[in-house]
Amino acid sequence: MGSAELLQFIVAGLKNGSIYALVALGFTIVFASTGVINFAQGEFFMLGGMLSVLALQSLGLPLPAAILFGVLATTAVGVVFELLAIRPKKDGDPLSLIIITVGGSILLQSLARHMMGPDELPVPAFTQGRSIIFAGAAIERQTLWIWGITFAAVLALTILYRKTAFGRGMRACAIDRDGARLVGVDARMMVTASFGLAAMLGALAGAATAPLTQTVFNGGASIGVKGFAAAILGGLGNPIAAVLGGLLLGLIESLSVAFLSSTYKDAIALVVLLLVLFLRPQGLFGRKTKEKV
Amino acid sequence: MSATLRRSLALVVPLIVVLGVPLVIDDRFVLKVLSLVGINVLIVVGLALLFGYAGQISLGHAGFVGIGAYTSAFVTVRLGWPWVAGLVLAALLAAFGGLLLALPSLRLRGHYLAMATLGFGEIMFIAFVEAEQITGGVDGFRGIPYAWIGSFEFETAEANYWLVWLMAGLAMLIAYNIVRLRPGRAMRALHGSELGAKACGIDVVRLKVQVFVISAGMAGVAGALYAHLIGFISPSVFTLHFSIILVAMTVLGGTSSIAGPVIAAVLLTMLPHLDAIVPGMPETVASVLQDWQADIYGLAIILVMLFVPGGVAGALRRFSSRKDASVERSDAA
Repeated sequence: MGSAELLQFIVAGLKNGSIYALVALGFTIVFASTGVINFAQGEFFMLGGMLSVLALQSLGLPLPAAILFGVLATTAVGVVFELLAIRPKKDGDPLSLIIITVGGSILLQSLARHMMGPDELPVPAFTQGRSIIFAGAAIERQTLWIWGITFAAVLALTILYRKTAFGRGMRACAIDRDGARLVGVDARMMVTASFGLAAMLGALAGAATAPLTQTVFNGGASIGVKGFAAAILGGLGNPIAAVLGGLLLGLIESLSVAFLSSTYKDAIALVVLLLVLFLRPQGLFGRKTKEKV
Repeated sequence: MSATLRRSLALVVPLIVVLGVPLVIDDRFVLKVLSLVGINVLIVVGLALLFGYAGQISLGHAGFVGIGAYTSAFVTVRLGWPWVAGLVLAALLAAFGGLLLALPSLRLRGHYLAMATLGFGEIMFIAFVEAEQITGGVDGFRGIPYAWIGSFEFETAEANYWLVWLMAGLAMLIAYNIVRLRPGRAMRALHGSELGAKACGIDVVRLKVQVFVISAGMAGVAGALYAHLIGFISPSVFTLHFSIILVAMTVLGGTSSIAGPVIAAVLLTMLPHLDAIVPGMPETVASVLQDWQADIYGLAIILVMLFVPGGVAGALRRFSSRKDASVERSDAA
């Protein structure tokens, strides 16, 4: 295999990896604030694409406004879901919360089908034009958009977490919920915010991917599993680990297609997920924790 | 009505209904739907043990059902094995898959099993599509014969109905015995407090793994029955969607109960086929129900978890304990 060909696979891997990173961030943020895995995370990805199409077709918005609408509307869905379905569960039993997110997942998926129909829907590329040739590898313009959006999202998240009182409150809740409440952090508000943020990140990923893959009501589940695999690979609960896990997973997938076979491409992420769960459940960059009584 | 009388009625009435149905109904389609109900009951009994007694959910049981279905189809059609051998191998292979999955992920605290099973289910789906030599790929596996034992073939709708419900009954019997005896008490302790259970000398991991393996084996049997009942299987049956529907039945059925999830499985499986079962039901109602099936399931899961955490079983328990109380009051008066 020539170096240009290899580079092409690496480009593809980093493109998918950026998407996984955004979805993985969503898992990690919700896990940090609630301690549960949000099985509806993949649906936020799907809604990002579908609601953008809704804005394009039914509301007749121009593309940038439609994308913005898709992302903000999905964020609102995330917040409303938390307020209506997660917050009323006062005892916070993890198994119940997980099952609620499973229910939310099929509900959102099915509602999207009722609104937008069962077919795959196209979204135009953010900027038209031919691919850019770099060292013999072709890079689609949409791929550059995906990288840019991922970078901007990670940067914004870092600033939010480090520089704002709001972000510090979220981090405090992730470390110790009761401790955070003692010093005046509104812990319930932070859970709501974490669902909103997770939905926004998922929707960004979904809207940015839609021009490449089209968008369809049942497209969320598989990307959800891959995003979760990325979060587990890095170490659940740590945003930086989630991003690294996403990029790494994208590369592993792409290189295994390059060197092995493409038949079981979609199974690679799942095999990685199971291997990490079995061999190193705290993830590559996580620390082992002990259960306390 | 005394408690024992009520309890025996609760056992006898469903038995009479299940046994009596083929005598009253001779519509082949309705009997087939009711056989599918029995198959889902068989799977949900296993999931009820897992959810209600071991505090775990599986989002990949469609994968085990698929393993059972393809195993039995392959060995009976391609290798010419007897049906019974296919059934046993289906159960064993599914249980073995369950063992491989459960051993590592149940060592971990929390709900890693849910995600591991989700990943497993998706892998199995891909395998069913791609392993064309064995499964027939997306076109599916055709020409699976009805079940047979020796020279007797289960070729009528009635015979298949009896077969499926016999198996479902056996599964319930096994489940009741597990629940009533020592393993069941250990599982209840586990559901209350895992640490407390450990302190009482219960090997928590071993117990959870055993429950998971049993539930996977039951799903394998259900898959084998399905393959021979329908005669055709394809990957589109064994999807994540099916797994989630099974979880919905289990969760709506409630915790610490076998009867609750069984009732939920019966009702939810019949829901999309109501027009065939309830005479005079307009077709539009049925088609609306089918169209909104997933929404109804999703909403029902959320509402039950929020407001009726005990599910059907909890409601039953409240109902019967209220009755007990009123009986005691009237006795006193």
